[in-house]
Amino acid sequence: MKTLIIGEVTDSKLSSGTLEIINKANDLGLDFGVVTVGSEDSPAVGSSTFQQTYIKRSSESLQFSNVADKISQIIQEQNISLVLAPSTYQSRDLVSFLSVDLASSPVSNVINFEIQDSSVITTNSINGGESIYKTKITSSHSLLLIRPKSFDPIDIELNNEYETIEVENSSLEIFDIFKEEKSGPQLEDSKIVISAGRGMVEKDNLSLVEDLANKLNAAIGGTRAIVDAGWMPYSQQVGQTGKTVKPDVYIACGISGATQHQVGMKDSKFIIAINKDEEAPIFQLADLGIVGDTLSVIPKINENI
Amino acid sequence: MNITVCAKQIPDPANEITYDKGLISRPEEQVLDDTDRYGIEIALQLKEKYDGEVTVISMGPAGTQKGLQQALQMGADKTLYVDDDSLKGANSLMTASILSELAKTTDADIVIFGTESTDGYTGTVPQQVSRFLKLDCISYIKAIEISENVILTRQTLEGSERVTMPEKCVLSVTAGGVEPRYPNFKDIMAAKQKPIEKVELSSLNMNASQNLEFLDIEKLENSKNGETIIDEGEAYQVVIEKLKELKVI
Repeated sequence: MKTLIIGEVTDSKLSSGTLEIINKANDLGLDFGVVTVGSEDSPAVGSSTFQQTYIKRSSESLQFSNVADKISQIIQEQNISLVLAPSTYQSRDLVSFLSVDLASSPVSNVINFEIQDSSVITTNSINGGESIYKTKITSSHSLLLIRPKSFDPIDIELNNEYETIEVENSSLEIFDIFKEEKSGPQLEDSKIVISAGRGMVEKDNLSLVEDLANKLNAAIGGTRAIVDAGWMPYSQQVGQTGKTVKPDVYIACGISGATQHQVGMKDSKFIIAINKDEEAPIFQLADLGIVGDTLSVIPKINENI
Repeated sequence: MNITVCAKQIPDPANEITYDKGLISRPEEQVLDDTDRYGIEIALQLKEKYDGEVTVISMGPAGTQKGLQQALQMGADKTLYVDDDSLKGANSLMTASILSELAKTTDADIVIFGTESTDGYTGTVPQQVSRFLKLDCISYIKAIEISENVILTRQTLEGSERVTMPEKCVLSVTAGGVEPRYPNFKDIMAAKQKPIEKVELSSLNMNASQNLEFLDIEKLENSKNGETIIDEGEAYQVVIEKLKELKVI
């Protein structure tokens, strides 16, 4: 099945979400090429194992609509029938635009897919990962938005050899670009993640979580509630609208475990939950559950490690 | 300025979602998706600055119309909705097509959405509507500053960026960006007098069709039957022992 993967760039190379999809496409033996969209100059997104086209977008103009025009054209020219993209801000915009051009509704929240008798069958995570849902796509084009961490990333050498295309700027000028500083272990690749929820009561108490994270060399995450409350930047949100993590150990501090949060962490290998409310749904997922006040348990852990 | 906000009625999130043949079971009484309150708030702020009318558009089983009323209680002026049995299980593109057609009937300058509904979570409809309407799409807005111009802050993977709102566009708004207003008693009473109009599907051009066939749904057994300990002051020791066992420390 002629396939196009829409790739992304993080830290000047192909994003892990893109590498995960490439791995799956390889496993299925799909005939695929990659179109990567980014704003950096010559990032390492090329490979000797697949055809790469880099669409360099301007960081000063909101032009995803123009980028989608270009990708639409590539899809038509190359007779692509399957389009795979990571479920991120950028790709959600692009795939949504493409879906109108190709008259094919996309499937979101895909966690697995297969080809059966030249039809694409998707497995999607719904209701915060509580259930899985299988869909058969019956249109001539299939568009999939794939949740990060659904597959292992492929381990390949990346290079700078590929064709680069630029697209026209739109009339929407971008200004005041702000990049959050990255420091310490990052959520996506840390083996240990400690997350905080409303049970931390107030922002100042997050220092307890920070102390523990420092001791364990862990990344820090948070629930949507505390990100919305401004206690943490959005880049640290774990869950449906934030990041998906799969560490060896996940410590949930004062998190009740709404389904929106669960979908972002339930595949962690070992889950420790500390929460006052013994009815909290997080205990269903926990390998070790401590029913108690997070604000008294964590300081004791910190003192005794 | 004609401001159109899309709002969805969803089953009360306090209750467990159930499915029938792959479709969410929708009770007669559904509520306004909280996600939409942010879009409505932005619409009302724009109305205060530029005058004009705020129209709520909606697709789905209307039922008791509680969710639509809740949108009007916040301060929207009127509601147009499509409720047709043939739209049950409509995919995101069909939904976007209908909402685009509804937006056209309101002669909308600005069309506002939440980023994704709390029951469906496809997160593609705002962008699809912008493509159908051939309007600029400014997605994932997390803050709005209304002064001489309207400056929108977009959430990005790495942080944020800002854009000046053009005269005509589609916006998608993330939760938390603005503080949605709570209606008072007067607002609630006033909403009862506001028009809620049903638009017949046959009067709209549907530019999409069903391409997603439901095969199967399976509830995952998430319960791990892990060890649970009631903390009586010493539970921290169990955690530390476990972290040692896991070779974290």
